[in-house]
Amino acid sequence: MNILRWWSGLLLAFALVALVRAFFPLPFANEIMIFSIYTIGCNFLLGRVGFISFGQPAYLAVGAYAAAFYFYYFGTNPYLGILIGIGAGILVSVAVGPMFVRLRSDYFALVNLALAVIVFYLMQKVLADITHGDNGLWFLTNLSPTPVLDLTRPDQFFIFAFLVGFVVWAFYKYLDDSIYGACCLGAKINDDKLRFLGYDNYHIRLLAFVIANTTTAMAGAMYAVYLGFVSPEITSPSRAADPVVVTILGGVGSLYGPLVGSIAYTGMKDVLSKLIGNWELIIGFVLVFIMLAGEKGIWGTMEPLFTKLFLRAWPAGKLSENKGGGR
Amino acid sequence: MIDVQLLLTGVIFGLSLGSIFFLMVVGLSLCFGLMRVISLDQLLYYSVGAYIAYSVSLTIGNLWLGVLAGMVVGGVAGLVVERVVFKRIYERDITFSMITSFGILIGGVGIIKHFWGLVPRPVPVPIAAQIGIIGTEIPVYRLVVIAIALFVYFGIWLFLNKTIIGKAIRAGIEDVEHVEGLGINVYRLFSITFIMAGALSALAGGLHAPLIMVDPQMGLEVLAFAFMIVIIGGLGSIKGTFVSSFLVGQVVSIGSLIYAPLAQMVPFAIMILILLLKPTGLYGSPLLKR
Repeated sequence: MNILRWWSGLLLAFALVALVRAFFPLPFANEIMIFSIYTIGCNFLLGRVGFISFGQPAYLAVGAYAAAFYFYYFGTNPYLGILIGIGAGILVSVAVGPMFVRLRSDYFALVNLALAVIVFYLMQKVLADITHGDNGLWFLTNLSPTPVLDLTRPDQFFIFAFLVGFVVWAFYKYLDDSIYGACCLGAKINDDKLRFLGYDNYHIRLLAFVIANTTTAMAGAMYAVYLGFVSPEITSPSRAADPVVVTILGGVGSLYGPLVGSIAYTGMKDVLSKLIGNWELIIGFVLVFIMLAGEKGIWGTMEPLFTKLFLRAWPAGKLSENKGGGR
Repeated sequence: MIDVQLLLTGVIFGLSLGSIFFLMVVGLSLCFGLMRVISLDQLLYYSVGAYIAYSVSLTIGNLWLGVLAGMVVGGVAGLVVERVVFKRIYERDITFSMITSFGILIGGVGIIKHFWGLVPRPVPVPIAAQIGIIGTEIPVYRLVVIAIALFVYFGIWLFLNKTIIGKAIRAGIEDVEHVEGLGINVYRLFSITFIMAGALSALAGGLHAPLIMVDPQMGLEVLAFAFMIVIIGGLGSIKGTFVSSFLVGQVVSIGSLIYAPLAQMVPFAIMILILLLKPTGLYGSPLLKR
């Protein structure tokens, strides 16, 4: 019963995402799936560890370019490309993590942004010989069809992204429930006390940093496979705040915040940019409003309502089960 | 080797760029020092200042009036934002103000796009004259920009050290509670700082406008540089901001003479290096928490 309850939220959430797929065009569904995977790393860092990361695009680009190099110069298998993207993400975040996680939260944000800018110029100018600069790498035709789920076809790619998203969310839910998740929260709220309890702050943060950025790099590799091209645009400084905005929009630190946030953000972007041309205006003021209204975001506001709904629906079953478990 | 004339042009270019950076970032630095908020909306006043300067110089034909008008608008906008938004979040975490002010920045960029459109606009240079120094033609306007920045630095120094309000602000940077204990209304100091910061950022925008094209994204484009300068100099230190803006200006300008792509990256590498060696920046004091 407990196991069922543990999974029920996840299943419900992803059933709703499947509904999105049914009612909206495929590119939109693919976009929000990848975007939410991209955002959950930032959400974890901001909500659980207290690191605000304006540099998430750097890791996105690392994953995307690692996959792109593989497709463009070496091989054709999309699955392998995504694995290579993940590997590159782990490598880079392990390399820079020890330097970054020692910093305080505000400096961390700035340094991370600087990393994004460095990666941007690295890809746009310095390594232009192999990255083709602003033109980007085009390799859509290099991808070979794969037997079970053919990632070269958008509709099957969605199923893949959907499954990956499900696994990622299950993983983060597991993290949130574990002692490690509690430690992360401790590191955010009161790291002196955490140290007093005998936990090592530095390693907790480093692990969180690596986990979150590897997830982001995976999203980057998925972007590469889905779009079939990669350009420095994905890490441009003006887009650096996208994941932070989406995190805030969805609700900081809540598990389903990134999903809700990326649906809302991508939807707003699509609808509003058709209507009025400058959707930043709306996004910006929504952001300010959410921050002033208590930082809870869309999902953070909705969550209590949902729980109430469920508690009303299941009180009898829950009570009897608790009794049975107790005795 | 680079010849002397090219080098001289590069140095002057770097100095004027550094001046603009200084004017732009000093507000951010002051706000952090006194109120412990990271006020990214300064970059909005920078773009607003540039656009007002553009519009006024287009209608009246005088850029200097435009710059002044931009400063007024920037100061007023800073005051309004402080009263409406920042007043509510002084007590909160520092990341909080960062995100909120970023929201203001994005929203403001939307407003700019609404009024002035997406197309980059050129602004005529008010002083077209050039003077020759060791056989190199140097645009006078750049020298004027440098002079204004030095003047502003000196003015801020005088204000902070010689006037009673300035002294209160300096004391507030050290310890706000003690200043409050002396019976000084710190919230009025906060407002004054915000007006100053907004006006200076707008001044930076107005002065920068003739050197580049004004476009809606200009605030976001310098965002990374603003961050970097503040970090290298140390958050909250005026002197640190001054030194690091000129340092970054020179690195960008001379670097682009040597190898263009590196010019954009070297400052960031310097920043990471400085952070690893001295996490509070060159002149930053160990930070007090409020």
